[in-house]
Amino acid sequence: MQLLYDFFTGQMGLDATGAHVSVASLMAVLMFTVMAICAIFFTWMERKVAGFMQSRYGPMYTGRFHGWAQAVADMLKILGKEDIIPAEADKGMFKFAPILVLLGSLLAWAAIPWAPDFVAADLDLGLFYIFAASSLVVIGILMAGWASNNKWALYGAARGAAQMVSYEIPLALAAVPVIMRAGSLNPQDIVISQQGGIWHWNINPIANPFLFVAFILYFIASIAETNRGPFDMPETESELVAGYHTEYTGMRFAFFFLAEYANLFLVSMIAAMLFLGGWWAPLPGMGWIPPALNFIIKGVLLVFLNMWVRWTLPRVRVDQLMYLCWKVMIPASLLCVVGAGLWMMAWGQLK
Amino acid sequence: MVQYFADIYQAVSSAMQGMGITFKHIYKKPVTLQFPDERQVMPERFRGFVHNDTKKCDACNICAKLCPVDCIYIETEGKAKDRYMTRYAIDYNKCIWCSLCTENCHTGSITMSHDYDHSVYDRKSLVYEFMDPREARVPCHRQTRIDQGWWVEPKEEGDKGDDA
Repeated sequence: MQLLYDFFTGQMGLDATGAHVSVASLMAVLMFTVMAICAIFFTWMERKVAGFMQSRYGPMYTGRFHGWAQAVADMLKILGKEDIIPAEADKGMFKFAPILVLLGSLLAWAAIPWAPDFVAADLDLGLFYIFAASSLVVIGILMAGWASNNKWALYGAARGAAQMVSYEIPLALAAVPVIMRAGSLNPQDIVISQQGGIWHWNINPIANPFLFVAFILYFIASIAETNRGPFDMPETESELVAGYHTEYTGMRFAFFFLAEYANLFLVSMIAAMLFLGGWWAPLPGMGWIPPALNFIIKGVLLVFLNMWVRWTLPRVRVDQLMYLCWKVMIPASLLCVVGAGLWMMAWGQLK
Repeated sequence: MVQYFADIYQAVSSAMQGMGITFKHIYKKPVTLQFPDERQVMPERFRGFVHNDTKKCDACNICAKLCPVDCIYIETEGKAKDRYMTRYAIDYNKCIWCSLCTENCHTGSITMSHDYDHSVYDRKSLVYEFMDPREARVPCHRQTRIDQGWWVEPKEEGDKGDDA
């Protein structure tokens, strides 16, 4: 980031404010582009993973090699669709909801540490900011459901709100042991604290078993946060037509779609950052791998894990979902915080 | 309390078991075929679209008469040794794949093929004409067929023959 900043002040002759604005705009555009590419790539990946897990191929024709261009073609198609707003809908809210949902995840992307010197917003409260910004998605979903003036959409939105608000607690609590170990909320510091190969990562169950449990808790909560897998209550296509985005078409639907996959990659990247050593290479001798590539590979592997869960487990009931959160995961994550603290105190790992 | 932990254990272990199964399937060869490129090999007695080989057919009209839905159209001209078939068509809109025609064909010209994917834009396109336009007419009388070098059903022992 410093390099970019220097480029704008030195080469382009901008003052400090101008350079800040330029860097911020550039990063915003870059993040949005990466996000869109991610959505397209993960759509294709999801279909291929789902296909092979069900003993079939998935898309095979578009673009010759394993239908790689299918998602691109779908995106182009969705751009050309008619934009329909229901007559009885709350028009302002209906139009604003998809933007808010996308905004929630885009804001959170700002604080993701891609590489040692490459993070759009290097915030000291980065992790807190990420969790806070991604909570905006809940409001967007609730708005979409309410503004659609459709009972299925409202059911889906209400479920989504209940689920996402509940699961934010174990999600954040599971990150607390990591914060205790790193002694910082800055994503870069959290990554740097895991320096030195795979056994120094927070996931290592021998160094601290409570952190390993925290990773599992975080992963389950992140599936619920992204409304996927066995926890896709807000859009249960077999019960509610399509949940909160029943009434959305064309580009507005694409925004929800984009946000879903952006959120998927976001939670995977946060998991990689918190537990899998961020941009550190898995072994000390592998420093030649670009840090950003390390980070992206870890993120994609976690996305694969997420898809694997989604295409294996059947959808849970709403009451089972709430039981899991309030009676199992929150007590477990609280125990995890206490246990991890005691463990670190016992072995002198606390900062 | 014991039940609580037993439930958690069961949930985790059964989820792991299920994920193991799905993971195995990633490496297994998919069971589906890429349809337009690969096609399933049909069983020998599969009842596909009815096909008539006009080179063998002698327009005896048995198939058309047996057909419960009257979907076979045969047109002939002339009589006795000068009888020629000018049209043989099957209307697949009507055909019910009962196989009565193929079972009773004495020349073995009409058969159930293995085709199953004739998609058309228009219902009229499903009326299939079997006469080769270059032939225009096919002799029906046995002797004429032999004279002109067409395929003839070999006569069996005790076969009275049912030549037109």
